[in-house]
Amino acid sequence: MSDDEKGTSRLGVLGPLVGFSTRAATATLRPIVGVAEAAAGAGLSLERRAVNRVLESDGLERVVVVAINSEHIQAALKQALDSDGAVQLIDSLFDSGLLDHFFERLLASESLWNLIDEIAGSPAVTAAISQQGLGFADQVGDQVRDRSRKADDLMERAARRLVGRQPRALPAEPDAST
Amino acid sequence: MSDLPAAPVGEAPTGVAPDQGLQYVGLATRVVSFVVDAALITLVDIVVGIGAALILSLLHIPHQLRTVLAVLGGALLVLGSILYFVIFWCTTGQTPGARVMQLRVVTADGSRIKPRWAVVRCIGVLLAALPLFAGFVPILYDARRRGFQDWLARTVVAEAPGPSIAEVTRAKRRAIREASEQPPPGPPE
Repeated sequence: MSDDEKGTSRLGVLGPLVGFSTRAATATLRPIVGVAEAAAGAGLSLERRAVNRVLESDGLERVVVVAINSEHIQAALKQALDSDGAVQLIDSLFDSGLLDHFFERLLASESLWNLIDEIAGSPAVTAAISQQGLGFADQVGDQVRDRSRKADDLMERAARRLVGRQPRALPAEPDAST
Repeated sequence: MSDLPAAPVGEAPTGVAPDQGLQYVGLATRVVSFVVDAALITLVDIVVGIGAALILSLLHIPHQLRTVLAVLGGALLVLGSILYFVIFWCTTGQTPGARVMQLRVVTADGSRIKPRWAVVRCIGVLLAALPLFAGFVPILYDARRRGFQDWLARTVVAEAPGPSIAEVTRAKRRAIREASEQPPPGPPE
């Protein structure tokens, strides 16, 4: 025995009457519900189209540019940034531990290390590092050459002094006028 | 030869102008250059020696033959070292160590030395080192800073300032970049 039949048997004589009225109400309301659903669907679609049109139009861009260039907005932003509230906001952001959590998650992220590997292996970075290394080797070489030339002269002077000879005649400096 | 500058006091005239645009390099710089070369040769010898030892360890060679091979290997290493200097001196005049120290082995008139004189100079270096390096002492007293080996091979060691390795690398990279930025030639009309 179904639930409907059970309810009807419990109501006794009124059972068929109640069943009939329920069916009548359902049949009456069905078109109204359908119209309401169709209207809601049309409204949603209209809303989506309107948002798309606004996003695709140049108007939004113009509005953003005008807003950014506006002296009032800039003054308001400056005032907001200079205010104690902004400082408190930053303090509370750091106190909340949100940033710590963010960085913990960031460092635990595999993609971050993949990105770092990519950057470290990129030709531009390796070229910069090799240039730096060569530049350092260059500096070391210059220093060694400079010092060894000085040591040449020192040793020679000392050796010549030892046997009582005059220092070696140095090569003439190139004439600046030529 | 009357227009040659007079030799410094206390030194015998050499018959060649001591300064023909060449600036001579002294003992300390030459020692540093030689140390760099020696380090390079030693490194190559070590690598080659380890390689040869590994290969020989795989083969079943009698003990006596091993000794002969070791002697041969030693002789080859000595020959390689001599060739290293001879080839660099008679081609560019600069060994890698000399390149680092920016010096060059040239003849008295500044030209490149011939292979036979490079060999003579190499033998001269060995002979100069034998009597407790006494053959290098003249470098301190000679007007052109010549040692026994230079006197024997009629060479001098002169300054050879040039672009550093970093500058050469930068120039190469710049050239490659410029070549890649140039538009390809258009079709012939």
